Amino acid sequence: MNATSLAIPSFTSDLRAFWAVVRREWVIFVRYPSWIISLLIWPILFPMGYLLTARALSGVDGSGLTNFQNTTGLTEYVGYIAVGTMIWMWQNIVLWSVGYSLRNEQMRGTLESNWLSPTWRFSYLLGSSVPQMVSMITLLIVSGLEYALLFGVKFNGSLLLTMLVILASIPAVYGLGFAFASVVITMKEANAFVFLVRGIVMVFCGITYPMAMLPGWMQSVGEWLPQTYIIHAMRSAALSTDGFAGISHDLAMILIHGAAWLLIGYVMFVFMERRARQTGAIGQY
Amino acid sequence: MSDLAIEAKGLVKKFPARAGTGDKQPTSPTSMPENKKKRWQFWKKEPQATFTAVDGVDLQIKRGEIFGLLGPNGAGKSTTIRMLCTLLEPTSGTATVNGFDIVKQANEVRRSLGTVLAGERSIYWKLSGRENLEYFAALYHIPAAVAKKRVEELIERMEIKDRANELVEKYSTGMRQRIAIAKALLARPPILLLDEPTLGLDPQAARNLRELIATLKAEGHTILLTTHYMEEADQLSDRIGIIDTGKVIALDTPEKLKAQIDQQEIIKLEVTGWQEYIGEKLRSISEVGSLVARQQGEADLWEVNLQSNNSRAVLPKIVEHIGQNGTRLVNMNIVKPSLEDVFIQLTGKALRD
Repeated sequence: MNATSLAIPSFTSDLRAFWAVVRREWVIFVRYPSWIISLLIWPILFPMGYLLTARALSGVDGSGLTNFQNTTGLTEYVGYIAVGTMIWMWQNIVLWSVGYSLRNEQMRGTLESNWLSPTWRFSYLLGSSVPQMVSMITLLIVSGLEYALLFGVKFNGSLLLTMLVILASIPAVYGLGFAFASVVITMKEANAFVFLVRGIVMVFCGITYPMAMLPGWMQSVGEWLPQTYIIHAMRSAALSTDGFAGISHDLAMILIHGAAWLLIGYVMFVFMERRARQTGAIGQY
Repeated sequence: MSDLAIEAKGLVKKFPARAGTGDKQPTSPTSMPENKKKRWQFWKKEPQATFTAVDGVDLQIKRGEIFGLLGPNGAGKSTTIRMLCTLLEPTSGTATVNGFDIVKQANEVRRSLGTVLAGERSIYWKLSGRENLEYFAALYHIPAAVAKKRVEELIERMEIKDRANELVEKYSTGMRQRIAIAKALLARPPILLLDEPTLGLDPQAARNLRELIATLKAEGHTILLTTHYMEEADQLSDRIGIIDTGKVIALDTPEKLKAQIDQQEIIKLEVTGWQEYIGEKLRSISEVGSLVARQQGEADLWEVNLQSNNSRAVLPKIVEHIGQNGTRLVNMNIVKPSLEDVFIQLTGKALRD
C-alpha cells in the first residue's frame, strides 16, 4: 500500500491553522490560573504609588490641583494617572508576553515542531497574540470598573470612543511586540531591551504628567512614540467631553504609527526566520 | 514520479564556530579564513571562523525503504535531518524530498514529511494527547472532518485511548513519544524522518516502537531513521549510511557492511584495573586490527573490543599483557562482527564515545 497524504492546502486550511494556534494559546493560558491575580490585583496596585504621590503634592484638600487643571484641562487626576499607567502596563505586558512567545516555544521545544508544518509561520506569532489581546482588553475594562468603584473616578467621556482608541492602538502596541519577538529569538535574551523601551515610554510619553512638563527636546522624542498619542487619546476619550474632535488628530497618528510598527514587526520576523534557517537558531535554546 | 524519496547531492552545512545545531561538535573541523593578520578596524568585521557540521553528504533513499543514518553524537545526523525537513538551509549542495527542492519548494517538502525531532519535548505538555493531535492536524491542513477520524484512529493505534484526554504532563516518556510519533503520522505523509526515536525509552517501549516502525514501512512509508543504537539500525534498516565528522563514510545494506570485516573476529574482553599503556601494548601486536576500551558504568570494569583475523594466535599474547600490574581479565568472548565493529574499523572509535 502506498502512503497518501491527507493534507489539502487551501485558504480555509490556513485560516483553520491560524484559529488552532489561537485556541491552543487560549487553552494553555487559562490552565495557568495565576492570570486571575494579574487581572484583578495588578491594575490597582501598580498606579497606587503614583496616586499617593499625587495626593501628597496636591494637598489633602486638593488645593494644589489648580495647576494640574490649568495644564491638562481636567480635574480627575486619579483617572488621568490611571489611564497613563494602564497604557504603560499594556505595552509592558505585550513586550513580555508577545515578545517572548516564540522564545517560550523555543525553550519548551515546540517551536521546531510547529515550524515543521506547512502553516504560514507568521500565524504562530499572530495567533498567539489574539488570546493575549482578549485578556488585555478585559484587563482594561476590569481596571476601569475598579477605578470607578474603588476610587470614585468619573469617566465623563464616551465608552464608544474609548473602545475606538483601544482598537486603533492594537497595531502599534502589537507591532512593537512582533518586532521584539524577532529580536528575542535571535538574541535569546532581551530583558535589557524591554527595560529600556518601557523606561522610555514611562519618561517620554507622559504616563503620569502632561507632556508640557517635559523640556522641548524630550517632547520631540515623545512625538515619535505611538504611546504618547494613545495615552492622550485615551484620556480625552474616557475623561473629557470633547468627543471625536478631541481624539481625531491622535487617532490619525496612532494609525500611522500602527501601520509602521506592523510593517517593522513583519519585516523583522521575515528577516529573523531567514537568518534562523541559515544559523540554526531555532533549534538552539 | 522518481523512484527516490530523498536525494541529496553534496550537502554542506557550515555554522559560525560559536553557534551549534543541537549536534555537539567539540571535535568538528573548524576553519579560519586565510587572512590571519589582525588589525583593529572597528568598522570592519573580523572574518568569522566556521565549523563544518555536514561536509558533502550524498544520499539516495528509495521509496518504501528504511534508511538508517548511523553515527555518534555530533557526527552530523541531526543537521542532515534538519536540512531535509527545511528547518535549516544548506550552505551548499542540493536535496529533494518527494521530488521537491528543500530550499525552493519548502512548503511542498513540509507537506510530504512527518518528522519526529526532540521527541517528547515536541508536543504541548499543558494540552491533552487528543488536543495535541487535533492542533497539529490543523497545522498540517487536514480537513476538519478527516482530522477528527484520523485523530481517533491514531489514538487507538498508539494505545492511549484511556488517557487521551489527560494532560501530556501526566504521561510517561514512552506515551509522550507515542504522541510525537502520532503527530508525525497525522497527515499520512509518504516520508517519515525519525531522529533518535527510541532515545530515553525503556526497553519494552523501545521494542514496541521498533515494531511500529517496521509496520509503517509495510504500509508504504519511506523512513529515514537516525540512531546511535547499532542493534536498532541493524534490525530495522534496509540500508545504512554511517556518518562521522559530517561525512558519509560507508553506505550499504547491514549485511554487506558487516561482510566488509567478515574475515575478522571480534575479541570482547572484560577487564578490571585497565591502564592505557596496556592498550598501546595490545595495539602493537601484529594480529590486532583496532582496539576500543570503554568503562562500564561507575565501577572499575572496562569492556575492551579488539579486531583480529587470527584470534587463536593472538589470545595467549593478550592474556600475557593483561595479567600485569593489577589488571585482571574477568571475562572473554570471541564473536562475529556487528555493525558497531564496522564503525570501529572505519573510524577507530566507538559509536557512543
